[in-house]
Amino acid sequence: MRLAAFTQIIVTLAVTAWVFILPTEAVATILVLELTLLLYIKHDQMTLAAIGGLAVFTGLMVLLQLLFGTPLIQSLIGGLRMLVMTMAFLCLLAACRIQDIAKALVEKFRLPCEYAFMLTTALRFVPNFLLDSEITLDAQSCRGYSNRQNFIKRFLAYLVVIRPLVMRAVAKSETLALSMELKGFGNNTYKNMPPEKLNILDYLVLLLVLAGCSFPFWEKYFLGA
Amino acid sequence: MTAQIAIEKFYFAYKATPPGQVVLRDINLKVDKGSFTCLIGPSGAGKTTLCRAITGIVPFYMGGRYAGDVKVLGKSTKGQRVSDIAMHVGFIMEDYESQLVSLTAGEEVAFSLLNHGFKPEEVEKRVSWALEAVGLPGRETYRLDELSGGQRQRLLLASTLAVEPELIVLDEPVSAMDPDGAQSLYSLLASIHRRLGTTILAVEHRMDFLLPYVTDLIALKEGELLVADSFDAAAPVVYQDAELRPLLPTLWQMKLGLEERLGLRLGNWRSEEEAVEDLKRRGVRAKEGTGHVGS
Repeated sequence: MRLAAFTQIIVTLAVTAWVFILPTEAVATILVLELTLLLYIKHDQMTLAAIGGLAVFTGLMVLLQLLFGTPLIQSLIGGLRMLVMTMAFLCLLAACRIQDIAKALVEKFRLPCEYAFMLTTALRFVPNFLLDSEITLDAQSCRGYSNRQNFIKRFLAYLVVIRPLVMRAVAKSETLALSMELKGFGNNTYKNMPPEKLNILDYLVLLLVLAGCSFPFWEKYFLGA
Repeated sequence: MTAQIAIEKFYFAYKATPPGQVVLRDINLKVDKGSFTCLIGPSGAGKTTLCRAITGIVPFYMGGRYAGDVKVLGKSTKGQRVSDIAMHVGFIMEDYESQLVSLTAGEEVAFSLLNHGFKPEEVEKRVSWALEAVGLPGRETYRLDELSGGQRQRLLLASTLAVEPELIVLDEPVSAMDPDGAQSLYSLLASIHRRLGTTILAVEHRMDFLLPYVTDLIALKEGELLVADSFDAAAPVVYQDAELRPLLPTLWQMKLGLEERLGLRLGNWRSEEEAVEDLKRRGVRAKEGTGHVGS
């Protein structure tokens, strides 16, 4: 039994709320849970690189806060919150297919189908774009493009790669648009897909989310804080 | 035979075409049901525009000035949505890579079916049938990057076949493929044409791949129709035009050249074997051990 995309999105959104309303210890526990879950679902090089990248980015955030005079503890807590929030999205992307996320966003969150489709299309065309950039880079290198200068000159020289790359992307997007028109893309795309039903596990998790989100309420009235 | 495509006095110019000029001029032609037609012409002759006119893309999607009428399956394309025409007329464009819009093979084939309101059970049935028809059975869950270029081209054909079109229009479908891949795609198309009776209209620069299957030929030059007839009748007309001659299959260039120079009347060759048989019948023999032809 696995969680529906809808539940996973709700949990991700709930985590972003929890980092602000739950005590720091609980937020730290969520981070541990997230890391365990993420490494359980996917432990390939890309996931490890993403975790590493997020850790470095968090470190920079903490450093910036310190530079602007925020006390160390507060800076660390701020960094922890940001890390937990972003890690939740990483978990969502690792656990759930982008198509299911797009479908849930249209079905349950009433997101216009064009925006949802952009999610899947972007992912679909990343490999093509990378391949095109390699081809363009090779072609321009044959015509004398070189990246062995200082940063500014390298950046300016790179324009000869970017320009044809953008032109190719525009031409391809025209074909894509025409293809979508031929295939009748519209609201029906998601409406006619078999609906995703919530199971008992989904309801349990949603209850847990509700309990977590109402923490300030029961903290005030039941824990007497 | 009934005409699946009937074009009458069709003129067309894109929005950007300079005033006084047109891309297609006075096109009158018919494509018969069940035919395997090849559309040839030099670059800029208007082949792609003609394909787009048949599928309703021009002028109704891209805009432009036009006169005349294009009837597909007995109905004018005027006033019809491009996607509705596409339910009867499959269109495969040159850049196959950019026409694949989904992440997995199954989703790609299901895409237009879902858009047209087919029930999930019917979608599932048609997806597996279409994938099997193009030689990709059981690949529903394969990601597109797990398929080779040739397989992706076949997948595109599967997504077109899934809606069970009566006519498939292909605009240079093998331009980015190696000879083996091109041959295999056309042999697949021919088998679909035979088994399902689907009418095929293919724009092709390398007609050698099509020679065994082609029944009709349409030739365009500078936006005008040069000839539209059965292949056997149209090829000699095309041969008379020095610019279009290289577009004919090599075997037919030889055949028509021999006929012209030697005053012979050779058979309608569809393969090298047929050509050799025909020549042998006429007393042409290869010289022993040399492979050269003598008589």
